[in-house]
Amino acid sequence: MKRYVIKRLLHLIPILLGVSVLTFGLLYIGPGDPAMQCLTSNGVVVSEEILTVTRQEMGLDKPFFVQYGTWLFNLSHGDMGISFKDGTAVAQKLKEAFVYTLLLSSVSIGLSITIAVPVGVFVAIRKGHAVDNVIRMISFVGNSMPNFLICILLMYFLCIRYKYFPIIAQNSIQGLILPTLSLTIPMCSRLLRQVRAEMLEQLSKDYITNARVRGVRETYILFFNALRNALPGIITIIGLSIGGLLGGSVVIENIFRWPGIGKLVMEAIVSRDYPVIQGFVIVTALMYVVINLLIDISYRYLDPRIDD
Amino acid sequence: MKKNRLMLIMCTMLLLILVGCTSNDQTEDNAAHADSLETVAIVGEEPESESKEKILNIGVQYAPSTLDTHKGYSGWHTSTYGITETLFKVGDDFTLEPLLAKSGSADGLVWTILLKDNVCFSNGDALTADMVVGNLMRVASENQRFAYLADFTYEVVDELTFTIESKTPYPTMLNVLASCETGIINLDKTIDFDNGIIATGPFIVESFNPQAKTVLARNENYWNGDVALEQATFYRMPDADTLLMAMQNGEIQCYNGLNAAAMEIFKADSSTYDLVTVPATRLQMYFLNQDRLSDNVRAAINLTVDAEDIVSYLGGTVSPTVGPFSASTAYGKAQKPAVDTEVAVALLEKEGYKRNKEGYFEKNDKLLEVNIAYYPGRSLDVLATIMQEQLKEIGIRSVLTSEEKPDSTYIATRDFDIALYSMNADLSGDPAYFIMNTLKDGAYYDVGGFDDETCEGLITDLSREMDTRKRAELANQIIQIAIDDNAFGYLAIFNKTTVLRKGVVGFSETSPFDFYGIDAQTDVN
Repeated sequence: MKRYVIKRLLHLIPILLGVSVLTFGLLYIGPGDPAMQCLTSNGVVVSEEILTVTRQEMGLDKPFFVQYGTWLFNLSHGDMGISFKDGTAVAQKLKEAFVYTLLLSSVSIGLSITIAVPVGVFVAIRKGHAVDNVIRMISFVGNSMPNFLICILLMYFLCIRYKYFPIIAQNSIQGLILPTLSLTIPMCSRLLRQVRAEMLEQLSKDYITNARVRGVRETYILFFNALRNALPGIITIIGLSIGGLLGGSVVIENIFRWPGIGKLVMEAIVSRDYPVIQGFVIVTALMYVVINLLIDISYRYLDPRIDD
Repeated sequence: MKKNRLMLIMCTMLLLILVGCTSNDQTEDNAAHADSLETVAIVGEEPESESKEKILNIGVQYAPSTLDTHKGYSGWHTSTYGITETLFKVGDDFTLEPLLAKSGSADGLVWTILLKDNVCFSNGDALTADMVVGNLMRVASENQRFAYLADFTYEVVDELTFTIESKTPYPTMLNVLASCETGIINLDKTIDFDNGIIATGPFIVESFNPQAKTVLARNENYWNGDVALEQATFYRMPDADTLLMAMQNGEIQCYNGLNAAAMEIFKADSSTYDLVTVPATRLQMYFLNQDRLSDNVRAAINLTVDAEDIVSYLGGTVSPTVGPFSASTAYGKAQKPAVDTEVAVALLEKEGYKRNKEGYFEKNDKLLEVNIAYYPGRSLDVLATIMQEQLKEIGIRSVLTSEEKPDSTYIATRDFDIALYSMNADLSGDPAYFIMNTLKDGAYYDVGGFDDETCEGLITDLSREMDTRKRAELANQIIQIAIDDNAFGYLAIFNKTTVLRKGVVGFSETSPFDFYGIDAQTDVN
């Protein structure tokens, strides 16, 4: 196992290098000039001289490999650079935003699992009943609605119509509720359908029939046989959701004024804040790889038949 | 069968619940609005902010990352927040008014600025000429757009008087001193320039969180009379729908920069909201490439593109314009011919173009096709589509080219026939900024190939002319030459629309500029 983990961690190096070169290259060749963006963001026009000086200050006048090499050298020393937009350290910006994203993501994932797993198991054993049909319909709607629509509907009903929450409620437990719900509704719907499908597949297998014939208790069959064997599929979708959530949710964070990483990177893209975009890409790639590694390790524990 | 019936009943109930929830009962809405403040006081994160008197909550889409007035565009925000003030201010009618300065006069190359004798910072320190000069030097070093301020020679004459000497005549010196980036900070006593500057404005910073809100308290030492508000909070809300709903919920009491949909909503409830619209300074225009389009084709395009028609599509967010400046300014008096498609067609025919089977003009078997370059911001995508339709109607075929960043694409390469663009045409009540950047030979936005000797001479005169009235006359002549040469098409000026809950007054709603907001007179009744 140790060897396997070390091997996977070593794979990180070429992955991160590849991702960083690709991002740097795309930003370099893509249209848009950070200096111009910085200087003309309020519709103000500037002279070519001012632009030239600003480009020099930002280091944008240097060739691609010099820019990339400098960035990589600084990164290897723990320095992610300085934001073009406001001169703040990129690492500091990412850290501050990541705390919010982590909080929102973990609460949403926790809530989704808490709801989706028992309900999914329940509707699987009640397959074809009215409750199964209703829950499937609700989960279908929840899964199909775009994020922004869920946000607007939640705001309209819970803030404006019934006034359970204020629109402006940031950085508090209360401010966490609506963004959490907005993330949980589609994720829970997706997870619920997956749990149901995995459970149905397991419940139709011979070993379940054999267990029932042997007189094993139904709850034991459900939770210690069927659910346990269904877990790899469920964990895969949870892992993918975690990866997606930790990358931030631009729409939800913007609408609910949640200062997470999605909002930060969106603003960085608009203002062509290359150091922040680069930092974000590296951190996200790292997270994805680590999460995938954890999922792979969990497979081995859940199903010992899976080898290296 | 039973299952299906149960399903049907449950679906019907769900549908009824949804329909019931979405019923648009205006009376209920109004009642909800009326009690919204109390509700916020119960559930909001800051219940105390609504229970106090004379507190104003404002929504803004953008916020600065630092309160250092001299850096980037932070000055626009600190001015809006009522923290900083400048020596001069641009009035609603685009004329300069003294603010911290008493007067400013020029004698040749030397400007003499006299400060008011009663101005003090929020900590009680008096404003001195030495401090002002220090501020101007700091702007020059901190802000690349104002680096030219370092080229001037400053001399402090006495406590309240200083001079600025330039190498060449500088008629717009007072306009520069009205730029909010030159807001005056107490450089000696300010410790944290990013989060808590000490300045002369009617409000002081209580707390600053760039991502969330800026809380401002009344400056008890304000030099220019009583400040009506006790507290003001600017909430950052990047999403337009969030702003709209926060306003409807009573959690903010005013904001500006409304889109067409929000304007309709607030207009429909005039008993709760005041909606104020003024033409602002951001211009929608297009450049015509003189190296590619002949005089007659350019004239035909300008006679066809109907700004009134375009404005009607943009739902009150813009006003049609003849020139680059607001018609209410002394330098916004240009004229242009009315839309006349018959004359446009005649011009094309005079040029030798004939209609083909599809109704498009062509000459020597070559189709008259123009490339309209635009970027999908500032409603320019809508403009491009409407222009395409308008040109099609007279027989000019056009193709649309969308670019994300115009400055590094079609503006830089000049690869266009018609280039749509939006820019702030007037920053401080003077026409020189726009003219120098778009019409002067070799300027960054001189991209259409416009070249006129008379115009160049007039621009030189403008750069030396000190008299405001004569400057306006010169500007009108310069703009008119470019219009007559069909070098540009000026379409519309964005409106600045502000919505205020009834009782809120003085949020600079009548100012055409984006950088004015709350002041000592802003009040909640």
